[in-house]
Amino acid sequence: MIVSAAQALGGVRIVLESEEAMLLAEFAGQVVTVLEQDAHTDPALDRLFPDAYVDDDAASDDFRRYTREDLAQSKRDAAAAVRDATSTEEDRGIVDIELDQAASWGWLTFLTDLRLILAERTGILADEPDDDPVTEPITERDGYMRAAYEWVGFVQGSMLEVLDPTNER
Amino acid sequence: MAQTIERPDVREATDEASVTAVPWVTIVWDDPVNLMTYVAYVFRSYFGFPKHRAEQLMLRVHNEGRAVVATGDRETMERHVAAMHGYGLQATLRRADE
Repeated sequence: MIVSAAQALGGVRIVLESEEAMLLAEFAGQVVTVLEQDAHTDPALDRLFPDAYVDDDAASDDFRRYTREDLAQSKRDAAAAVRDATSTEEDRGIVDIELDQAASWGWLTFLTDLRLILAERTGILADEPDDDPVTEPITERDGYMRAAYEWVGFVQGSMLEVLDPTNER
Repeated sequence: MAQTIERPDVREATDEASVTAVPWVTIVWDDPVNLMTYVAYVFRSYFGFPKHRAEQLMLRVHNEGRAVVATGDRETMERHVAAMHGYGLQATLRRADE
């Protein structure tokens, strides 16, 4: 993976190995699926749509009623955009993606949502804060998701190194 | 996502409008997932804070577990909280005097 600034667009250029693109496309499709579930059916959703009030369930429920669908839609759109950008028909070895500032934001938020879901799935977001969240993975699947979590963080960190938040369109 | 990169007017507590009513605050909470650079980036982009201010607030979130990032009327704070949730940050609002 290579991330560089896309000066003309005010965004980033991301060059992915085809395996990396396939992985992102697969995850993006899964994030869309997770976001299509009803509220409170999946603990990861509670982290993506958290309470807006600490001690006021009624106010939090009201807030969620007014905001959740729009938030879910923009998160789904962001995931779908990543899925579409990384889904390639033929195997050309690399996938070259150029994003403007707005599209870069979509990627950043998608990568955040993906990491939150992976964190919830692998116990990084346990209710009891763990002093050392990077404990030995219990299963092969957990190990795989932890590695993906780290890699997705690396992709996001690389994007943040070249993006300029003052770059308004 | 276009609507999320607009710069809102972040009201200061000294605004005339909020002198008469009890102001509300937007609080961002620390979580073990979000990158510090991402949190600072969100603060700079969304609130329009200068780099040093955004990093100061991000470090406060990281070190103290939470930070007040905006003050104003309830409706504006609800909009900020929804935006923070859109970015994947943990945020809540409450009355400033609670």
